[in-house]
Amino acid sequence: MAVTALPPSDRLARFLAAETGASQVCIAGLALMRGGAIQENWAVDAEFAGGRLAGRQRLVLRRDAMTGIPSSLSRLDEFAVLQAAFAAGVAAPEPLFACADPAVFGKPFFVMRRLPGTAEGRVVTAGKDLDALAAQLGAELARLQAVRGPGFLRRDSTAERIAGFRTYLDRHPQPRPVLEWALRWLDTHLPEPLPPVLCHRDFRTGNYLVDDGRLAGILDWEFAGIGDPDEDIGWFCCKGWRFARLDREAGGIAARAPFYRGYERVSGRMPDPARVRFWEVFANLRWAIIALQQSDRFIDGGEASLSTAITGRRATECELELLMLLDPEGAPRA
Amino acid sequence: MRDLPPAGELAELARRLLLDELTPLLPEERRRDAHLVATVLAMLRREQAAGDGPACEVAALLRAFYREGEASLARLAADLRRGEFETSLSRERAARAILWRLTILKLREANPQFLAAHGIV
Repeated sequence: MAVTALPPSDRLARFLAAETGASQVCIAGLALMRGGAIQENWAVDAEFAGGRLAGRQRLVLRRDAMTGIPSSLSRLDEFAVLQAAFAAGVAAPEPLFACADPAVFGKPFFVMRRLPGTAEGRVVTAGKDLDALAAQLGAELARLQAVRGPGFLRRDSTAERIAGFRTYLDRHPQPRPVLEWALRWLDTHLPEPLPPVLCHRDFRTGNYLVDDGRLAGILDWEFAGIGDPDEDIGWFCCKGWRFARLDREAGGIAARAPFYRGYERVSGRMPDPARVRFWEVFANLRWAIIALQQSDRFIDGGEASLSTAITGRRATECELELLMLLDPEGAPRA
Repeated sequence: MRDLPPAGELAELARRLLLDELTPLLPEERRRDAHLVATVLAMLRREQAAGDGPACEVAALLRAFYREGEASLARLAADLRRGEFETSLSRERAARAILWRLTILKLREANPQFLAAHGIV
């Protein structure tokens, strides 16, 4: 966790006091957390004198980075989604306050409780015997998809989202023939839709906290929308989120079977491999576009972050996976 | 015209210095940034060593594929969007071969370890 120059912590303290009825709030620690490829997460350690959070609290403040990507919700909308999920009993950090006034902390933000555990993909996937965690994640995914999402969430059809990817590629300065080929495949292999549900749309290793081998909470709700339930399953299993364990097809932590069984136990529906394959192709395409958009934040938006700028190079990794998924003849022999 | 040693070799020396000697001195939370810098130096060196070779190879494949008219990745992308080769197995197979080659050449520069992890060199 990198300690950076203190932003206006006194204004933040006043805001927290007003929200909680505390007579005073002392901010003992404020540090930018690692991760958060698109948003900034700040670890806040605060001592509340009285009010509804009296005592020492470990919090996270989440606010927009300097630039963003188009499909990301605003922080206030993400807060509303997190509220709905938390209220329904989904394992997630408790959302506490949201603030639209940029004068308080530079940009709109929300505050949630800081849960224990690690979300670090390489750490999580280094664990052994993670079948129980995979089952827990499958069950939790089914639980979150049963939440009634806020009315403002987008309900674009799959065809509309594919069209959105093409619109992006039309603006992109370099041709991406592999992505075009995969988009064409998606267009011509659209599955029969299932009843739409709340989709997290970034449900993957790296975005959940594991504490002592168990799921502590699901993070990063900024891409949530209403859509096909198998989208989250395809995203979770997509190779880009397996970190160092490409062999473990469920998020780098286990085989698919325990994850699917956990999902079935709560949803009553066993994922159909043919549908999941469609959504894995979709996931690779979507991840490629997001990766390119991350580099756009440097190229067009002036976000001088090396980790953001370099992400676009990962689009070609998605393209390799798309070729492997879609070419019936497989990879060429050396 | 340029003085020796070549900048690509200096970049590799710089990368080794960064990883072997400087990174261990950094606090844990900054080591990932150091690895990112090392990744960029390695990429730079590979791109410099490859020069125009990959672009020329893809251009030659496209010329052989199209034989006449514009032979560009933009045309290939547009044709694939329209499903242009779907009625001819041989054309589709030839187009796929270009996609594979393009992707492998790009990854050889950007992330050869990723290729190796998939059994491709």
